[in-house]
Amino acid sequence: MSQPLVELRHVDRSFKQGRVMIPVLQDINLTVAPNEILCLVGESGCGKTTTGKIIVGLLSQSAGDVLYQGRPVGEFRGKERSAYRRALQIVHQDPFASLNSAHTIGQILSYPLKRHKMVHSRAELRRRIWELLTLVDLTPPGDVVNKFPHQLSGGQRQRVSIARALTVEPKLIVADEAVSMVDVSIRVSLLKMMHRLRDQLNLAIVFITHDLALAKYFAWEGRIGVMYLGRMVELGPTPDVIVNPAHPYTRALISAIPEADPELTRRKERMILRSEDIPSLTEIPAGCAFHPRCPFFVPGLCDSRVPPLADAEGFRHQVACLPLTQGDALREYGDAFREEQS
Amino acid sequence: MEGTPAHRLYDAIKRVVGSYAFRVVVQGILTLWAVTTFTFVLIRQMPGNPIQIKIDQLMDQRQLSYDDALKSAAGLYDFDPDEPLIQQYVKYIGKLARGDLGKSILSAGTPVADQIRRYLPWTLFSVGSGLLISFTLGVLLGMSMAYWRGGLLDNTMTVVASIMYGVPDFVIALLLLLVAGVQLELFKVGDVLGGISQDVEAGFNVPYITSLVQHAGLPVLTYVWTTVGGWILTMKSSTISTLGEDYITVAKARGLPERRIVLAYVGRNAMLPLITRLAISIGFVVGGSVIIEFIFQYPGLGRLLYTAINGRDYTTMQGVFLVISAAVVVSNILADLVFGLLDPRVRVGGQK
Amino acid sequence: MSENKVVLSVRDLSVHYLTQRGALKAVSHASFDLHKGETLALMGESGCGKSTLNLALMRLLPGNARVPNGAIVYTRRDGSTIDVLKMNQDRLRRFRWSECAMVFQAALNSLNPVLRVRDMFYDTARAHGETNHHKVRRRALELFRKVRLDPERVFNAYPHELSGGMRQRVLIALGLLLDPQIVILDEPTTAVDILTQRTIIDVLLSIKDELNFSIIFISHDLSVAAEMADTVGTMYAGEIVELGPVNDMFYRPRHAYTLGLLEAIPRLSAGAEELTSIPGSPPDLVEPPSGCKFHIRCPFATDICAKETPPMEVVGDGHSAACWHADQVYARALQFTGAES
Repeated sequence: MSQPLVELRHVDRSFKQGRVMIPVLQDINLTVAPNEILCLVGESGCGKTTTGKIIVGLLSQSAGDVLYQGRPVGEFRGKERSAYRRALQIVHQDPFASLNSAHTIGQILSYPLKRHKMVHSRAELRRRIWELLTLVDLTPPGDVVNKFPHQLSGGQRQRVSIARALTVEPKLIVADEAVSMVDVSIRVSLLKMMHRLRDQLNLAIVFITHDLALAKYFAWEGRIGVMYLGRMVELGPTPDVIVNPAHPYTRALISAIPEADPELTRRKERMILRSEDIPSLTEIPAGCAFHPRCPFFVPGLCDSRVPPLADAEGFRHQVACLPLTQGDALREYGDAFREEQS
Repeated sequence: MEGTPAHRLYDAIKRVVGSYAFRVVVQGILTLWAVTTFTFVLIRQMPGNPIQIKIDQLMDQRQLSYDDALKSAAGLYDFDPDEPLIQQYVKYIGKLARGDLGKSILSAGTPVADQIRRYLPWTLFSVGSGLLISFTLGVLLGMSMAYWRGGLLDNTMTVVASIMYGVPDFVIALLLLLVAGVQLELFKVGDVLGGISQDVEAGFNVPYITSLVQHAGLPVLTYVWTTVGGWILTMKSSTISTLGEDYITVAKARGLPERRIVLAYVGRNAMLPLITRLAISIGFVVGGSVIIEFIFQYPGLGRLLYTAINGRDYTTMQGVFLVISAAVVVSNILADLVFGLLDPRVRVGGQK
Repeated sequence: MSENKVVLSVRDLSVHYLTQRGALKAVSHASFDLHKGETLALMGESGCGKSTLNLALMRLLPGNARVPNGAIVYTRRDGSTIDVLKMNQDRLRRFRWSECAMVFQAALNSLNPVLRVRDMFYDTARAHGETNHHKVRRRALELFRKVRLDPERVFNAYPHELSGGMRQRVLIALGLLLDPQIVILDEPTTAVDILTQRTIIDVLLSIKDELNFSIIFISHDLSVAAEMADTVGTMYAGEIVELGPVNDMFYRPRHAYTLGLLEAIPRLSAGAEELTSIPGSPPDLVEPPSGCKFHIRCPFATDICAKETPPMEVVGDGHSAACWHADQVYARALQFTGAES
C-alpha cells in the first residue's frame, strides 16, 4: 500500500465549555490514502466535522499525532508548511455563508490564486479561472465569472466553493455536508462531478454526511467510517459496512432509515433500542458509549471497558464492539450476535 | 473523605467563590475601584489648583494678605494638594472605605455626601420620569408601527423619530426654553430657572406638584424628546423581527386571540433586547445631563458636577463620579437579573 | 380509502405573492381531496410551492400573498361543509387548530422561547374555550405518553431545555390537543438525526392508527413519504403535476418529474447503482415557462410540451398526471423500478 496522505494516530480533541472539558473526539485512528474516498457518517455530535477539520489542519488535536505524508504536521515550517496547508482543503455545507457576497465569482477565485502565487500574469489568472470554472461544470465560464454569489443557485454556489478549493491544487478535499443543502434533483450531478474531479486531479476526498444512503452512493468504491459520540465504531469498505454491518449502532442506523420504496420500507425490520436518549458529550457512558442503548448489551463487559477498533471474525472490516472482537471467552456472545443477524 | 470538616469547608468556599453572585459583586467592586482611581488621578491632572483659586478668591474678596489667605484656605480643606499624590490617594481610599466622601472644597465644610443627598433626588426624579415616559411611549409607538408597517403612522413616525434621535439635546433644550417658555409662556422662564420654589411645602399637594411640574417640566420634556426616537426605532425593528418568527405563525395557527399573541408572544419577545438598554440607561439617569441641568439651572447632580468642575472641587467631583459609576454597575447587574427573569434561555449563572 | 368520506377538498387553488417584479405564482391551480384517515404526502423541492399551499390551507399566508382563485372546502364532523377561504376572522380562528392543526419542522423555532410548554398548552385550550387546567393537563400528559415523552418533565419545561426531536414530538402532541380532523405536517423529520427521525415516524404512524386523523404531509424526502403516505402528490413550480396511490407513484410514475426524482435519490439497500440528476434548476415563478413548466429540464420533452400546458388526466385508479408523454415515462419507469404493469 502506498504511504497514506494523512494519518491520525490516537487523536483526541476536547473543547472547553465553561469549566468543563467536553471530549469531542477520543482515540481516533484513521488513514486517508491518496486518491481515496472516505466517508464519515454519524449523527450530530458524533465528531465527524471535528475529524474533518483536524484532517485538513483547521483544528489541532488535543492529544495524539496527525501526520501528513508520514511526517507530524507540527514539524512543517515555512515553505513546507504552506505546501501542506495548500494540499488539504475543505468545502463547507453552506456556500452562501462561505462565499463573500460582496465579491464576484472571478474575484473569489482569483484571491487564492494570487495569494499563493499560483499564477504569474493576468492572462494566466484569467486562463486558470476559466479552467477551474470549466472543471466544475460552470460553463460557459464567461456567464458566471462576473456574477455575485446571490445570483447563482445553491448548486452553482457549491460548485464555486469546490472550484475555490481547487485553486491551490490540493491533494485532498474534505467535503463537509457539501450537498446537504442542495435539492435532490441536483445533488447527484454534484456528486458525479466530485467523482470526476477525483479521477481527473488525483484527489482524495473525505466526504462527511449524516445521510447513509448518500454516503453509500458516493463511497461505494471507498471506505465508510461510522462515528458515535466521538469515537469510530466501525470502519471498512463501503459495501461491507452497508451490506454486512457489524456494530449494533450501524445496524440500528441502517434499520432505521426509510427507503424510497414503499413496500420495502414498510417491510423493513427495525432494530429496537433499549433507550432513545442520546447521552450528552459531558456524560459519556463508561465502557462502550453505546451500551445503554444497545440491544446486545453484555453486562459486566460492555460497560466496563472501552472497545478498541479491531478486526472481528466473520467480518472483513474493523469494528469497536467487545463481544464481536474479543477472544475465545467471548466468542459465544459474538456467535449469538451473528446468528441473530443472519 | 468527603465528610471531613476541612473538605466541607473547602467545598463551601468553592461554591461561594464559584457562584454567580460572588463573581458579580467582585466584578462590581473592581470596576468601582478602577473608576475611582482613574478619576482620582485624572482630576488632579486638570489645570488649576483649588487652594490657589481659593487663596485668590480670599485675597480678592476679603483683601487678605497672601499668607493669611493661605492659612485661612488651608484650614478650610482637610487635604493638602501639595502632598504627594500617592499619599492623597491612600488617605482618600481609606476614608472611602469608611463611607466618608470627604468635604466639599467649594462650599467649604459641607460633606460631599450631604450635597449628593440633596441633589440626587432631583436628578432621579427628572431623568427617571423622563426615561419612564420615553420608554413607555417608545415601546407602544414602535410596536404599533411594526404592526401596521408601511401605514401612515409608520411612515410619519419613522421620519419624526429619526429626526428626534438625531438632534442634540442641548439644541432641543434651548428650543423648548424659547418656544414653550418665552413664546408660548407655558412655563415662567424666571421660575423655571433657579430651582426650587422656597415657599411651597414638600408633599402630595397641588401647589407642590404644580411647582414640581413648573421646575422639572422642561427638563423632563427634553429628555423624553431626545430619547424617545431611539426607543421607537429599536422597538420597531425588534417587533418586526419577532413578527417574522415561526412561533408567531404557529400561535396564529393555534387560533390564539390576537390580544394574547400581541402581549405574550410578540410583546414579550420583542421587549427583550430593550431591557438591557433600559437598565443601562437607568445607570446613566443618575449622572443626569450636565448640559440640560445647566441650561435649565435645574438643581440636580449634573449641575452639581458642573459647578464642581468649574471650581476644581476635587472631592465633590470624586463623589459624583463615584455615585454615577456605582449606579451604572448596579443597573448592569439589575439588567442581568431582569433579563434572566424574562428570558429563560439566559439563566443567571446558568452554565449548562 | 376512496370509499371514505372527504374531509378536505381543494379545488383550483392558486396563490400569488406580490413582488416588485410582478406576481410570483407560488401555487397554480392545485386540486386534491383528502379523505378521513388518509395520509397525503406532497413532495417536491425547495420553492415548489408546497409550504405555501399548506399555509394557504390555514389562511396563514403573509401579507403580500393573494389568492386569485380556488376553494378549500372543509367537511365538519357533522357532515356540513364550509369554504375556508370564505370564513370570517372569528370562525377562522376557531377552525384553526381545533379542526386543522399544523406541525412545523423542528429546526424552526415553533415554540415561544419565553413560555413553558404547559403555558402553550393552556393558551391553546383557552383560545378554544377550555379553561379547566386539570383537564388540559391530563390530556397533554396522555398525549406526551403516546409520543414517547417523559410527560411531567416535558410539560413543565421551557423549549430550550428540550432536544430537537423532543420539541418535534411536543409539537405533535400540541397539534393533537384539540383532536383535530386534519394535521398538516411540514417537514416533520427534516433536520433531525436518523434515530430521532425513526422515533418520529413510528410515533406518527402509531398515533395516527389510534386517533384516526388525516395527515397532509409535506417533505422533500421521498423515502419518508414512501413509508408514511397513502397518497402522494408531486409538486413542481407551484403545480401538482402528479397525484396517486403511493405504490403507483413510486413504481409506476407517469410524470417525467416524478420519475426524475426517483432516479436521482440513492437507496441504501440498492448496492451499486446508477443515478441520474435532473439537469438545470427550477424555473422563475414570476415569468414561468410556457406550456409544461418542466419542459426545459425534461428528457422526454417535445414541441408540444413548450406550447401547451398538459391537462391533469386520469391514468389509473385514483392516479392522475399532467404530462404529454405519460406513456413513455411509464415505459421507462417500468424498466427502472422493475415493477409489473
